[in-house]
Amino acid sequence: MSAPAATFRAARRIDWLAMAALVVVALLAVFALMPGVVAPYDPIALDVVNRLKPPSPAHPFGTDEAGRDIFSRVIYGTRYSMGVALAIVAFAAVFGTLYGVVSGMAPRWLDNLMMRIVDMVFGFPALVLALAISAAIGRGLDSVTLALSLMWWPGFARLVRGEVLRLKTEPHVETARALGLGPVTIMWRHIVPFVMSAVNVRATTDIGYALVAVTALSFLGLGATSPTPEWGLLIRDSRPYFGSAWWYLVFPGGIVMLTATACSLLGDALDARKGA
Amino acid sequence: MLEVENLTVSFSGRDGRAVAVDGISFSVAAGETFVIIGESGSGKSLTGMAIAGLAPEGARVGGAIRFDGQDVVGLPDARMRRVRGRQIGIVYQDPLGALNPVHTVGDQIAEALRVHGLARGREAMARAVSLLERVRIPDPARVARSYPHQISGGMRQRAVIAMAVACNPKLLIADEPTTALDVTIKAQVLDLLRDLKAELSLTTLLITHDMGVVAEVADRILVMYAGTVVEVGPAASLMDRPAHPYTSVLLASAMMAEAPPQTALTVVPGGTPPLGAMPEGCRFHPRCPRATARCRAEVPVLRGVGGGQAACHHPLVETPEDAL
Amino acid sequence: MSLLSLSGVEKHFRRNSKAPQVRAVDGIDLEVGVGETVGIVGESGCGKSTLARIALRLIDPTAGRVRFDGQDVTEDGIRAMQPVRRRMQAVFQDPLASLNQRMTISQIMSEPFSAHGLKPEGGVEARTRALLENVGLGHIDTGLRPRQFSGGQLQRIAIARALAVEPELIVADEPTSALDPSIQAQIVNLFLQIRRERGVAMLVISHDLDVIGHISDRIVVMYLGQIVEEARAADLLAAPLHPYTQALLSAAPTLKARRARSFRRQILQGDPPNPADAPPGCRFHPRCPLARDRCRSDPPALRTLPDGRRVACHFAPDETLATGQETGRSRLGLGAVAPALRVERRGAK
Repeated sequence: MSAPAATFRAARRIDWLAMAALVVVALLAVFALMPGVVAPYDPIALDVVNRLKPPSPAHPFGTDEAGRDIFSRVIYGTRYSMGVALAIVAFAAVFGTLYGVVSGMAPRWLDNLMMRIVDMVFGFPALVLALAISAAIGRGLDSVTLALSLMWWPGFARLVRGEVLRLKTEPHVETARALGLGPVTIMWRHIVPFVMSAVNVRATTDIGYALVAVTALSFLGLGATSPTPEWGLLIRDSRPYFGSAWWYLVFPGGIVMLTATACSLLGDALDARKGA
Repeated sequence: MLEVENLTVSFSGRDGRAVAVDGISFSVAAGETFVIIGESGSGKSLTGMAIAGLAPEGARVGGAIRFDGQDVVGLPDARMRRVRGRQIGIVYQDPLGALNPVHTVGDQIAEALRVHGLARGREAMARAVSLLERVRIPDPARVARSYPHQISGGMRQRAVIAMAVACNPKLLIADEPTTALDVTIKAQVLDLLRDLKAELSLTTLLITHDMGVVAEVADRILVMYAGTVVEVGPAASLMDRPAHPYTSVLLASAMMAEAPPQTALTVVPGGTPPLGAMPEGCRFHPRCPRATARCRAEVPVLRGVGGGQAACHHPLVETPEDAL
Repeated sequence: MSLLSLSGVEKHFRRNSKAPQVRAVDGIDLEVGVGETVGIVGESGCGKSTLARIALRLIDPTAGRVRFDGQDVTEDGIRAMQPVRRRMQAVFQDPLASLNQRMTISQIMSEPFSAHGLKPEGGVEARTRALLENVGLGHIDTGLRPRQFSGGQLQRIAIARALAVEPELIVADEPTSALDPSIQAQIVNLFLQIRRERGVAMLVISHDLDVIGHISDRIVVMYLGQIVEEARAADLLAAPLHPYTQALLSAAPTLKARRARSFRRQILQGDPPNPADAPPGCRFHPRCPLARDRCRSDPPALRTLPDGRRVACHFAPDETLATGQETGRSRLGLGAVAPALRVERRGAK
C-alpha cells in the first residue's frame, strides 16, 4: 500500500556533475583512440632548444627536460594508462563475477573454500606481487597489468557472491525454484542479470582506482619504461624538476586526479540510477 | 477545529503535473474521530501528511488547511514545527521508523516535552514514564530505559502513541496505526486509541484502508477514491446505507466473514487508476456496475444524499430531491 | 487419500553459532487431501511461512518427513523433485517481487513450459492467452514487464503461471496480504473459481482469518511453531476450542459485530513470545486466561477428539466448549463476548 507518489515517477533532475564526468570520460576515449588527431606534437620527438619551457600557446602544458610537449605526452599517455586500467578491471570483473556466482551457488563447503582463497589473495601485498612479477618477466606495463589483474578480482568475487546469496532468497528466485526450473537456468535468468548492475557500478568506479594503482606502480619504477608517455612515468620523470618546472608535475598529476574523480562520479550516478 | 478547503497535492513530473489529491474539502469538529478511508492510490495518506505539514519532497500543496482558524499551508518550516509538536500528534504505520534507534524510548518522549517547554530534567523523564503507563505499557520504567529494538512491535506502537500525546495535542493524526501489527496486538492498540480518546478528549484524524477499524472507532467517515472524496457522512448512516457504489464495495470486501463460506464475494473489476491516467467524468465509472453515459462525461459533485454527502450521479440511496 | 503429508516436521534456525536455537517449526503433522483446501492461520513468528517452504521443498526440514502422493520426497534432490514440482505449485505474497522484473509477461508465462519440457497443444503462445483469460486478464499486452501492472493484476499473472503446468496442489503463502481490500476479494473469488473448475488442492497460509475462513475446508491454527487446533472450517469458526483460537476469532470480529454498541473484544495480554525463548509447558500459558500450574510445566499434546477435531489444550473441550461457542456467536455479532474469557485489563474502566 504505497503512497501514490511512488507510482508516479518524478522527472529526474539532471545531475550536472555526472554530465561533466561523462564529458571527461568521452574526451579520454577520444584521446586513447586517436591521439594523433588531438596532440599537436610527436610525444617522443626531442626538441632540446625548448627544454623545460613553461606553458604557452604553442605548448599549453609546457615542455619537459628533453623539450617534448607535455600536452602531447599526456594525450598519448591516455592509451597506456587507461588501457592498462581498463584491461585490469575488465579481467577482474569477468573473472570475479564468474567466481562469485559459482561460489554463491556452490554447496557450503566449496563456497567456504573459495572464499578462503579470496581472503588469501586479499591479504597478499600488491607491491610484493608486482615486484615479484617484474623480477620474473621484466619491468614493463605487461607485468603491471598481470600483477594488478591478479590482485583485483577478489573485490568483484566478494561483491557478486554477496549479491547471489541475497538474491537466492528473493521471492522471484524462490518462485522459480518452486516452478521447477533447474539451477543453471535460475542462475543465468534470475540471478546473474540482477548482479550485473552492481558489477557495472563497481567496474566504473574501479577504473579510476586501477588507474591510480597503475600510475603509482609506474611512479615507483615498476611499470612503463622510457620513453613511453605513461602518466605515472611522467610524474616519476618530473621529480628532479619539481622546484623549477611546476607544470611538469601538475599537468600529468592533474589528469590522473581528474580521471579518477570522473570514474568515481560516474559510478555514483550509475548507482543512483540503479536505485531509481 | 480543523478545516480543509479545496486541498490539492500535486507532483510535477516528466509528463506534466500529476494531481494526487484533487481539491478535497472537509472539516473535523473538536472531540470527534474522523476517519479517511481509501485504498492505495486514493491520496488518503498524502492528505494526512499535508495536514501535518509533512508532504513529501517535490509535492506541491494547494488550498487551505485551517487549524483552529489559522491557515497552515505555506507556513514557514520553523513555525510549522511548533504547531506540529504542540498541537498535532502523529502516529505512523511503522513504529520502528518513527523512533530514533540510538536513544531510549523514555529519552525520546522526555525530549519532546523539553523541546516544547512542558517539563525539564528529571521531571520530563518522570512524565515520560507516566505517559508510558497511560498507554498501558506494563513495567513502564523498564521500557523507558529500553531502546526501540529491544521492545516488541506492539510496545513500540504504544510508545509512539505516548510520544504523540505527550504535549497534549489538540489533534491526533494516526496514519494506518494498526496495519503493521499482528491481529491480537492490533486489537490492543485499537482499544487503547479508543480509551485515550475518551480520557484525553482527543480529536482524532484516522487514516486507514481497513473498514473493520473504521467500524469500531469512527464518528464520521470520509471515503476517498483516486484523489477525490466520493462520500462523507456520519459513520452509522454511511455504513448502514452507503450512497456511493464504491463505498458499498469497500464495505462488501470487509464482510468476507459474513458471506456464506466458499461463495463468490461481491466485487467490482479492476483497480484504482494510476496517477496520470484518470478516467474522464466520474473516476470510478470504469469499475462501476451502475455507470451510464452521464458518468463517463460529467464529473459528479458532492451533494446531500441520505445522512451525508456523496459524489455520484446514481447513488444507492435516495437524494432529498428524489424524495420530493 | 492424502496428497501432501507432513509428519513430525521440525525446522531449527540459528542466527549464528553462538545464538540460541530457534524452533521455528516444532513437530507438525499435517495432511492435505486430494482437492481439499486447507488454511493455516497464525500471527507473525508462528512458523507458518517456514512450514509452507518446507512443504514446497524450498528449505529442508531439520527433522520429519514430507510425502507427496504417498512418495517420500524429503531427501529428493533437484532432479528427483522435478516431476513432483510439476504437480505442486506456489503463489507468494508479494506479486511484484515474485516475478522477474526484467522479463516480459510472455517470457514469464513460458517458463513453466520450458522448465518441464511441455509442449502444449496449439503452442505456448495460445496456451498463455487461454491461461490469462482464465484468470480474467484476457486483454493484457504480454510484451510488457511486471512494473507496468497493478498488484492485483500481477497476482493473477502469478496464479496463471502456477496453473500452466496443471498442478494438483497449490501452496499459497499470504496470497492476498499485499493487496487492497477490494482486490483481495477478487483474488479470493479467483481461488474459489480455480478450485471449482479444476479441483486443485490448496494449502493457503495467511494471518487473515476472514480469508482463511472463507475459502478453507479445514483450518489449522499455529502458535509458536506448533499446531494448537485443527478442525473443519465451519466447526472451528462456530466453536473454537483452544483459548488462542478463541482470542484470534475475538480479535477479528465481523463488521456487524464491531459496529454493535455493546461490542467489547477479548483482549489477549502481552505479545507473542519470541520463538527463540519459548515458554516451558504449554507455549500459550503466559497469555492464556485458563492457565494453571499444570500448563506451566506439562506441554499439552495435540489430541484428536471423537469428532475428528484436534486440539492441544489440557482443558479442551470440557472447559472451553461453552466459551468457544459464545466466541463464535459473538464474532458474528450474535451475542456478547463470553464473560468467562474477559480478561481484565490494567487501568481499564
